[in-house]
Amino acid sequence: KAVAMAKLILLLLNWIFLCCNVAAVFEDQVGKFDWRQQYVGKVRFSHFDSHMQSSKKVLLASESNVFAALNTRTGELFWRHVDKTGPEGNIDALLQHGQDAVLVIGNGHLLRSWDIGVGGMNWEMVLDPGSFRSACLVGHQGAVKHLAVLKKTVISLHYLSNGHQKWVENLPESETVDFQAVYSGGNGEVYALGVVPNSHLAIVVYSLEDGEITKQVSVEAPWLSSIPASCSVISRGLLTCVDSTTMSLYTLDLHLQLEMTQIPLQTLGLDVDPGFRPSLVSHQPNPAHPPLSEFLLQLGPEHHLLLQHNDGQIVTLRDYKPALLASFATAGEKTVVAVMAPKNKTACSINLFSAETGRRLLETTLIFTVDPNGGKPEKLHVQAFLKKDDSVGYRVMVQTEDHTLTFIQQPGRVMWTREEALSDVVTMEMVDLPLTGAQAELEGEFGKKADGLMSMVMKRLSSQLIMLQAWIAHLWKLFYDARKPRSQVKNDVSIENLSRDEFNLQKMMVLVTASGKLFGIDSKTGDILWKHYLENIPLNAAFKLMVQRTTAHFPHPPQCTLLIKDKDTGLATLHVFNPIFGRRSQVTPPALPQPILQSLLLPLMDQDYAKVLLLVDDQYKVSAFPSTKNVLQQLQETASSIFFYLADSGQGRLSGYRLRTDLSTEQVWEVVIPTETQKIVSIKGKRSNEHVHSQGRVMGDRSVLYKYLNPNLLAVVTESTDLHQERSFIGILLIDGVTGRIIHEAVQRKARGPVHVVHSENWVVYEYWSTKSRRNEFSVIELYEGMDLYNSTVFSSLDRPHAPQVLQQSYIFPSSISTMEATLTEKGITSRHLLVGLPSGGILSLPKMFLDPRRPEVISEQSREENLIPYAPELIIRTEWFINYNQTVSRVRGIYTAPSGLESTCLVVAYGLDIYHTRVYPSKQFDVLKDDYDYMLISSVLFALFFATMISKRLAEVKLLNRAWR
Amino acid sequence: MLSRGSLSRLWLFVHATFVVVSCFTDMEPGSGVGVSSQPNGDRFKIEGRAIVPGVKTHDWVSSARVLVEGEEHVGFLRTDGSFAVNDVPSGSYVVEVVTPTYRFEPVRVDITSKGKMRARLVNYIKTSEVIRQPYPLQIRSVGPHSYFMKRETWGWTDFLMNPMVMMMVLPLLIIVLLPKVVNTNDPEMRKEMEQSMNMLNSNPELPDVSELMTKLFSGSKGSSKAGSSSKSSRTVTKRR
Repeated sequence: KAVAMAKLILLLLNWIFLCCNVAAVFEDQVGKFDWRQQYVGKVRFSHFDSHMQSSKKVLLASESNVFAALNTRTGELFWRHVDKTGPEGNIDALLQHGQDAVLVIGNGHLLRSWDIGVGGMNWEMVLDPGSFRSACLVGHQGAVKHLAVLKKTVISLHYLSNGHQKWVENLPESETVDFQAVYSGGNGEVYALGVVPNSHLAIVVYSLEDGEITKQVSVEAPWLSSIPASCSVISRGLLTCVDSTTMSLYTLDLHLQLEMTQIPLQTLGLDVDPGFRPSLVSHQPNPAHPPLSEFLLQLGPEHHLLLQHNDGQIVTLRDYKPALLASFATAGEKTVVAVMAPKNKTACSINLFSAETGRRLLETTLIFTVDPNGGKPEKLHVQAFLKKDDSVGYRVMVQTEDHTLTFIQQPGRVMWTREEALSDVVTMEMVDLPLTGAQAELEGEFGKKADGLMSMVMKRLSSQLIMLQAWIAHLWKLFYDARKPRSQVKNDVSIENLSRDEFNLQKMMVLVTASGKLFGIDSKTGDILWKHYLENIPLNAAFKLMVQRTTAHFPHPPQCTLLIKDKDTGLATLHVFNPIFGRRSQVTPPALPQPILQSLLLPLMDQDYAKVLLLVDDQYKVSAFPSTKNVLQQLQETASSIFFYLADSGQGRLSGYRLRTDLSTEQVWEVVIPTETQKIVSIKGKRSNEHVHSQGRVMGDRSVLYKYLNPNLLAVVTESTDLHQERSFIGILLIDGVTGRIIHEAVQRKARGPVHVVHSENWVVYEYWSTKSRRNEFSVIELYEGMDLYNSTVFSSLDRPHAPQVLQQSYIFPSSISTMEATLTEKGITSRHLLVGLPSGGILSLPKMFLDPRRPEVISEQSREENLIPYAPELIIRTEWFINYNQTVSRVRGIYTAPSGLESTCLVVAYGLDIYHTRVYPSKQFDVLKDDYDYMLISSVLFALFFATMISKRLAEVKLLNRAWR
Repeated sequence: MLSRGSLSRLWLFVHATFVVVSCFTDMEPGSGVGVSSQPNGDRFKIEGRAIVPGVKTHDWVSSARVLVEGEEHVGFLRTDGSFAVNDVPSGSYVVEVVTPTYRFEPVRVDITSKGKMRARLVNYIKTSEVIRQPYPLQIRSVGPHSYFMKRETWGWTDFLMNPMVMMMVLPLLIIVLLPKVVNTNDPEMRKEMEQSMNMLNSNPELPDVSELMTKLFSGSKGSSKAGSSSKSSRTVTKRR
């Protein structure tokens, strides 16, 4: 019996094991709550890979020095190569031939050839110095084997296969002649075209074989100043130019003529729009053959023409008016012209025309819907292909002013859209989603003042009823969806049905990009819910985004204010909008005629619960927005406690001001940092939404070391102007922003920037480059009040007689870093981590515990009690600490952290070239059940125990009875 | 202050090692000291090859980059895994091959002002220690990156070795096996056991917990009927 029982139990156990094995299938959190979007930046060159009929690639070279191949079906990246930022990685030209794409990089410094199938590099070649002018592929006898690079003083020819130089020749008279274009028509000659502005045109012909000058002519052209802007080679070496002052076309046969033929536009019945600079576009489908004899001429912003050169005559094939954009494309032997014409306010139509005849091809109309919140179309990239019946089909990639790429198929189906503006996010905020009607009702019940017991009960009942209704509707939807096939059930997130989730984990990300396009992105899925393009944004604008009113003040809509400031003039404008819908707000922002020096968002609110924004102009006058009577009154009352600071890094001056009741200001303090030796590089205050839960740290001997929690503390970083490695240094100043008192000063000798700083709670962490040891180092400063707290109820900068204790420690970090931020949680109970963006694309979550100046060199009983990690000079990068695993974020520029409704969870957005969103749990998920929580195990154990008691009870009974019988 | 003291001590330590090591190794001129980059100084090329054993280069080169001292200089990999970073002024650099999938150890490359190169292991603590590496660089992948923490999985051994389970299973075994091993019907044995039980139970007045429990469970239902029927069947089987 007993054996049978044991077997039974074993079986049961076995079953439990099986169950838990099933439940514990290795489960990753990959993609569960994180997402990444990859971008390339504003497209400068694009090339559809047409060497294979079935190719799905489009090559893009961007102004952000990125070269990438996209899948034309989905818009996703096949591969992407991110070069250095700045002029050194600048892509000057993109030439594609077959499987190879050649880039000219860094003002003609490098030639790089890529295998577009693999995405690997074929070769890289350093060119002779000289500023880049032009490059072209050179074909001969039907094959393309070379490319020519024209620089200011030299022209060189390279093999496509390995980049080696075939020949390099100096350009004659390069001191006077400005060579600007290079051309080859596939006849074994390379033409370098130069201009002496307003005098003549110089043409030098090189032999392809040995680089010998076979011909050198100069042609009178007093009207010409720039070849690429107004000239193009068509047909068999016919240089054609257009000039707006003489209103003429000029042609020159490069082989035969020595003088230009003038064709007045009037003889063709044409006219240039006043003030417009006409331009010419020719098309050379194959570098081994001469260009087409047809070309496009643009005479006005909405006027294009297709012209043909025929027996020395220029003939108009087609006049496109109105036409926004026109572009050539070739499929097989056929060349077509795609022309975009405005249809109505919200749509444009694109049509295809035969390049040879100018006739419109039937059934080729495509409708492009212009986004009213986007920019105007700027470029048309056409992918033409031959259909089975040998007719030409096409798809277009429309590039608009707001850097958006839209890929459209006939008859107007948008295959994908890429918002390349998101490659350059400047600043962002996360805004809570609004409550649903039911939730708001429930919340409202608690918010309102009590008005009698009965009505309260009624209210409660009604709100419960509404919730029940919502729940039933939800159930019905579930049931309804369950009957439909899976594919039809769409998880359609739209602005209308967005609402806050239980733990406030889903938020609206409001992103501001350098192009002036604003985006609202759902943080859960990464879907773009709204976008708004602000036109007329100055090129070097600085942005500051502020949340004036959150969603918590129903029925008042949430409100964000974007301050856009021209860095040169200091003039600023305000854009006020609703962060949930992206719409411009009804509130009219004040006009700001004076340059703005500083803006500050006060915790004061007006009667509509909007926080008050103060703007300080260059006359040190303060204006408030909103500036209602209520606000002004509040400001008058609290003026004596409003302080702000201004920093002038040019003069090395930091000054503190206080507000007067009449909204003028008075200077309270000033700190001058001598600009001859050092300059201010950054100033970091603390985040206003930061909470610190514990006032102190419990030491090993049970005493408490109180933190110095000064909310007005500023960390000022300076770098030495002397960059010599022996003499360079960086300095950290901790200044109280109200009194100007310098709390602490630290200097790191033999160190240089870039310095990355995080300032939070009672600590400042900064990272710098040690020139002496050639390594990156972290340093942490912590401030403590000591063993007893002076005035524990409130912190006042004006009343803190004791200077804080300062502890500092430094560590070696085995990598350089791109950016740094600290995690942030709702109540500040969770331990903090530092999020470090690395150049490799990883985002490291480094526990603050490792950056603790109290880490002991010698372990003692007390330090063990306190859980201090013994000091080790080197911090270690563990790939397990990468919060973005293999989803690397290229060129990470900023990390934004926001608290969620769960204390354990911090929402993180890393932005750079890519955008990555995830959640981090610095102290593990202590307030929710873990993802891998084993419901199966716990329930099966419960069941097993239940059965086991039943069985054992029964057995015990039997045994008792047996004993009784005996 | 405490911090300053510790920091300076660290500096001293580093300095000391620097001095000691530099005595031992033959320092090439300029290699130990980073030469600041002059705008018109000579530029050099760092060359090498990255290898991922057992993986075709085509599968990983498109996502790889060569970073020299952060992103100060960037190089790309050729389709055969080799690379060259152009335009590097003389100095000392940490060269790293980065891919999202495979891990490569960084290497420090020293370039003298004359363009002489040498590669050595990266050691951030003893910065001038020289453990030579081949140049042109041969960087072999150490394996794939391990990004994920292992989830706690359940296994037989984990479960059985769990102290709680041990505590449950061992008494169970004793209960089941002990009556088999020891003949409880033997009166002598019983006496002995009772004695030992009494020894354990120093206070005989106190009710035994186990007894209490059995009473509690058995007394709950009118079990006589079911008990007898089952008993009779049992006896039958026993007699057979």
